[in-house]
Amino acid sequence: MSRLDESGLELVADVLVVGGGPAAAWAAIAAAERGASVVVADKGYLGTSGAYAASTSGHKVLPPVALLRDPLKFERYALGGFLAQHKWWDRLLEITYERAPRIWEWGGYEIPKYGRDGAYRGLQGSETMRILRKVLLQKGIQILDQSPALELLVDEEGAVGGARGLNRQTNVPWTVRAGATILANGGVAWLSKALGCNTNTGDGALMAAEVGGELSGMEFSAHYSPAPKYSSVTKSAYYRYASYYDKDGNKIEGLNRNGHRSTSAIAKELLKGPVFVKLDKDTELPEQRELLRAMQPNFFAAFDKVGIDPFQQQWEINLLLEGTVRGTGGIRIADEECGTTVKGLYAAGDAASRELNCGGFTGGAGPNMTWAIGSGNIAGRAAADFARNLGGGQAKRVLQAAGRVGLTAQIPSESVWDAASIVKGVKEEVFPFDKNIFRSEKTLLDSLAKLEELWKTIQGTPLSDTAQHLIRSREAAGLVATARWSYFAGLARTETRGMHKRLDFPQIDPNQRHYLAVGGLDRLWTRPVPVEEEVVPVPEEKRKLQLA
Amino acid sequence: MIEVLSLSRCIQCDKCVKVCPTNVFDAMPGESPKIARREDCQTCFLCEAYCPADALFVDAHAEARVQWNEEELVAKDLFGAYRKNLGWGKGQSPIDNLKKIHALRELVGSPF
Repeated sequence: MSRLDESGLELVADVLVVGGGPAAAWAAIAAAERGASVVVADKGYLGTSGAYAASTSGHKVLPPVALLRDPLKFERYALGGFLAQHKWWDRLLEITYERAPRIWEWGGYEIPKYGRDGAYRGLQGSETMRILRKVLLQKGIQILDQSPALELLVDEEGAVGGARGLNRQTNVPWTVRAGATILANGGVAWLSKALGCNTNTGDGALMAAEVGGELSGMEFSAHYSPAPKYSSVTKSAYYRYASYYDKDGNKIEGLNRNGHRSTSAIAKELLKGPVFVKLDKDTELPEQRELLRAMQPNFFAAFDKVGIDPFQQQWEINLLLEGTVRGTGGIRIADEECGTTVKGLYAAGDAASRELNCGGFTGGAGPNMTWAIGSGNIAGRAAADFARNLGGGQAKRVLQAAGRVGLTAQIPSESVWDAASIVKGVKEEVFPFDKNIFRSEKTLLDSLAKLEELWKTIQGTPLSDTAQHLIRSREAAGLVATARWSYFAGLARTETRGMHKRLDFPQIDPNQRHYLAVGGLDRLWTRPVPVEEEVVPVPEEKRKLQLA
Repeated sequence: MIEVLSLSRCIQCDKCVKVCPTNVFDAMPGESPKIARREDCQTCFLCEAYCPADALFVDAHAEARVQWNEEELVAKDLFGAYRKNLGWGKGQSPIDNLKKIHALRELVGSPF
């Protein structure tokens, strides 16, 4: 008997969406437009949850012109180790082109004109999410805010039939029985406080694995972004205007490459000593500075609040781990419809592996938002169709709760474990650059051994005297599980590809151009999954553009 | 981290309780909300953006505590500053900010 077995809110829907960011919102809208009844359950508040709401990035929307779309597709193709698939890119860009302008319409804005560069920029993240929430409510979609899903429900055949969780403000449990379930509850950034990422604790990955789901791309989880050392504001784009200095004020060269910051070069410097930054490259014009301010207000909030002028003064930086939120790993997409390997279970946004359009490297808002909008819409439509095909059969299903570790004791134990010490232990393995950015067989095995100890500890009795403690225990289990999958996949990929950097295998190995499925709870496993697309050569026009 | 919830400005609408993605505030019947779990604040500034009374101040330090008093925040015009910069302030529209971005981009070129 757990707290979740107590009586609470009981709902039935065609589609349950777990999550509260753009992928979840789009999935809910797409399913509702297909005629499905939809319930959304989110840990936070649909509107502020997740990385996108906190960001002020307005992502680009590109018309269907190869000259405009190719640079986006090819920009990170090689960086991502040729694991992205152009057929996915094309499909996702098409959906974004069709769907993203609706946000303007819904928000009551005039549809913008495409700019001089052929693209138009979307509204900022916080405004986009405010509008999407309004649309969900208008469409009659029920939103359960502050209501983390803690476990999936499965029927006799192992198909997913909904989820249950707790409202963390009223402590009342909720159960949603649904024909199809979409996990769109974000990736994992291991509570690093990277901007907007602390709701992303790997909950979806753990829930999926418990019902037989697979993960993929977990080795590509070492994404870090710079932030002023005191702050949470990980905004990487403006570091292209940065000059870097050591503690004596001497300029450090080579931290920006090809106009972008180099994470590993910055990490190497930080391992030696403090690094300071000033935005003094190509930012002389007052209009340029005004433009930068208007485009990313939160970047400047970090300075305005403490009285620093980032164009004139130096400030110390740190790299904060953004894990799979800006990395690419997540639940493995097993078909064209964002279905997983489990019947009735779909995945979208950062909860799913983003390798299909980003390969082993991502970063910016453009590719990630394209994935969120595209996968959300694909999963929403497919889930609605799946639920419709179940018809009356849904009501007859006998469902069982599938959650295990972090919810109840898996092995008898007298002592109770506390989430705080587990979280601290995981952070010690995933935060340090010399463990996560610069990997080798030795570092990976050392960390895996420590994570194994944590995994054993959490098989005991979780602290669950209050709803809040139970939720934290379950989050801690997600953090340990995702860290283990990341490093186990990292051990299996004996090459350097995308953001997975092995000091003992510094080159890309053409024989390892495959995805790595990973999974398992007590006993981990991994296996290669072929990329169903040959390497696409860079088109002629792009070569010309590069030469020019 | 969230540092200030101004009791003199707060209109007890409990919006911050509702919208905080990491559940930092507790609603208090008949009173202003309480900062109940400050250490869970992820420093995303979204409570400030949503507060209709500009009664909240989130310092940019994510881990360290920084003491502020209301007079100082008023003097430095920091209450509601982030909301204003998003175009969410009183009498503002985010579209004006976008028009400004488009105009500046035409003038100095697109950074990306």
